Amino acid sequence: MNASGVVYVVDDDPSFRTAVTRMLAAAGLSVQGYGSGDELLAELAGEEPPVDSGCVLADLCMPGLDGLQLQQACTDAGLELPFVFLTGRGDVPSAVSAMQHGAVDFLDKCAPQQALLTSLERALERSAHARASRAQRAQLQRRFGALTARELEVLEQVVRGRMNKQIAATLDIHERTVKLHRSAITTKLRVRSVAELTTLAREAGLFV
Amino acid sequence: MGSITDVMSLVTTLWSMAAAAALTLAVLYGVVWTVDRRNLANLTLCVVAIAMAFVARAEVGMMHSATIAEYGDWARLCYLPVSFALIGQVLFVHLFLGTGRRDLLWTIIGLRLVVLIGNFVTYPTFAWRAIVGLRHARFLGEQVSVAGPVVLRSWHWLSVASCVLIIVFIADAALRRWRQGGAEERRKALVAAGGVGLPLAATMVYAQSVLLGSLPLPLLVTPAFLITIMVMAVELSRGFLLYRQTRQELEELRSELARAGRVTALGQLASALAHELSQPLGAILRNAEAAELHLNRPSPDLAELREIIADIRKDDRRAGDVIEQMRALIKRRTLQMNPLSLNELVQDVISLVHSDAMARHVAIDCIVAAGLPLVSGDRVHLSQVLLNLVINGMDAIQSSPGSARRIVIEVRPREQGRVEVAVTDSGPGVPPEVIAKVFDPFYTTKSGGLGMGLPISRTIIEAHGGRLWVERAPGGRGLTFRFTLFQAAAAFQTQHALQAQGAVS
Repeated sequence: MNASGVVYVVDDDPSFRTAVTRMLAAAGLSVQGYGSGDELLAELAGEEPPVDSGCVLADLCMPGLDGLQLQQACTDAGLELPFVFLTGRGDVPSAVSAMQHGAVDFLDKCAPQQALLTSLERALERSAHARASRAQRAQLQRRFGALTARELEVLEQVVRGRMNKQIAATLDIHERTVKLHRSAITTKLRVRSVAELTTLAREAGLFV
Repeated sequence: MGSITDVMSLVTTLWSMAAAAALTLAVLYGVVWTVDRRNLANLTLCVVAIAMAFVARAEVGMMHSATIAEYGDWARLCYLPVSFALIGQVLFVHLFLGTGRRDLLWTIIGLRLVVLIGNFVTYPTFAWRAIVGLRHARFLGEQVSVAGPVVLRSWHWLSVASCVLIIVFIADAALRRWRQGGAEERRKALVAAGGVGLPLAATMVYAQSVLLGSLPLPLLVTPAFLITIMVMAVELSRGFLLYRQTRQELEELRSELARAGRVTALGQLASALAHELSQPLGAILRNAEAAELHLNRPSPDLAELREIIADIRKDDRRAGDVIEQMRALIKRRTLQMNPLSLNELVQDVISLVHSDAMARHVAIDCIVAAGLPLVSGDRVHLSQVLLNLVINGMDAIQSSPGSARRIVIEVRPREQGRVEVAVTDSGPGVPPEVIAKVFDPFYTTKSGGLGMGLPISRTIIEAHGGRLWVERAPGGRGLTFRFTLFQAAAAFQTQHALQAQGAVS
């Protein structure tokens, strides 16, 4: 297992919950069991810093919040955790709905061990990947944060592929000033070409 | 005439035997009719048979008459039973085939009454003014009196017309029945035409031939009537046999339907039961996998392994219990009355529908009065009834908003040793014309429904001596189904009392 993160097991049936957490722990995953969706939400809400990795293995059919409602509640609470659903009755409509809401997988309670482990691995990988891209974006946004408001305006024009003369006319400044802003931008962001600048801005989610 | 009357002649013997046979049948079917008064065909046979016995007596009287006056008196008397026999036969055919024309029927009855009244206001008979001398003829190896030339009245043709109308009526009814197709229809048509119509037609032709003087033989209708009565008796007894067979088949069908109802209820619950089973089976699988992973370690944790194995045993028992419940539901059984706790029964049913209710976001509340007595009943059948009512309730509230989906099961003691169970749903309610029909077999408002759940439930409750009925939920829009059962001791007493009654009657 190269992916890390906690598997949050949510199932109202204590004996199944015990068995599955026991097996996953023995397989080397870090696991936590919860008897209901509310329990999980209460636990994760108080975490500081916010939980940003791991995945949820939830029973689709539970009293209180059912699996799909729990997934929605997590999304609403800003918890970006991939879901793997377990069900005792493979009814197609809920499976479709679950997959549409971004479930990683939809498994029978008696699914083979390997299938379950593979699904969880994929969910954890997805979580790790999402976490990494979130971190990268945050870091980039910090770099862009060093720019002044004027520099950002100039940057936008540059990214849109306009020439210094046009930028100067649009912003009503001297062409020399534009050049000064551009060199400040490249220095602060440590980039060497306009192409690199454009790529970086797109990765940071700017001007889209 | 000494030679005719002194010894017991063959004619007297045969005609007496025919009369005796007819009277026996009359008594038999008269009694049968008093038992089941709705079956008027039995009464018609009784009437025809009595009439035939009198006809036979009158015919013997005619054959043994010494004078024209005596002959005329017997003939005159003969009209009464003959009219009854004819009207009886017509009514029998009408009841037996059910296809006779009513206007024809009433015309025939009217005509026969006119003939009958006419016969008693004329002398010697309605048919003839006079007989010109008696003759002797050989009949069945003996000398009998037969009429000589007869002076007929024109009224006579009214009597003939009534007989022709009867034959037309029977032929018409038989033809209509025959055209309905089907082996039984055709058989009945043939029986009516061949067993009643044909003997009558033959007799009429024979009687006219005698009266018009072309046949030197006595006037006889007894042989034809005897054939008709025998055919009627065989047909009606066939009815009894078929009735018994039908009842038996009905009984079998009912038990088959009860089983089908259970299977349907199971079908609706199949996914829920699959869920019930997948919990323990999934747990067993995961525990076994965990144990395997532990055993692959260099130094397995024995305490953990013991715990895992204990859990596996526990879940196996759980799965077994689910299967046992299912088996009990499927099994075809007759009622096995035992004292049982309704509280337990209700809890069992709730646990059965638990996951189904959850999936449909239905809350099931249970109010059981304290100190409830045990009731007498069949656990499996009563579970089925309750299960059916709860599932119906859940179906009824499908369209309600989630917060209002509620089913209340209420159990409380009632007067006279009864216990009442009420299942109330918070559904949107149904129009009165639907409520009136919910217990009709094959009536359903569900797309996949058979419409057998409630009729079967009612049959089961009635087999317990209780009642099952429906009313509007008090203070709500949904429905309340209520059924009563006897508390164990009282039920025993009632059963006892019924047995005592049975012994007296």
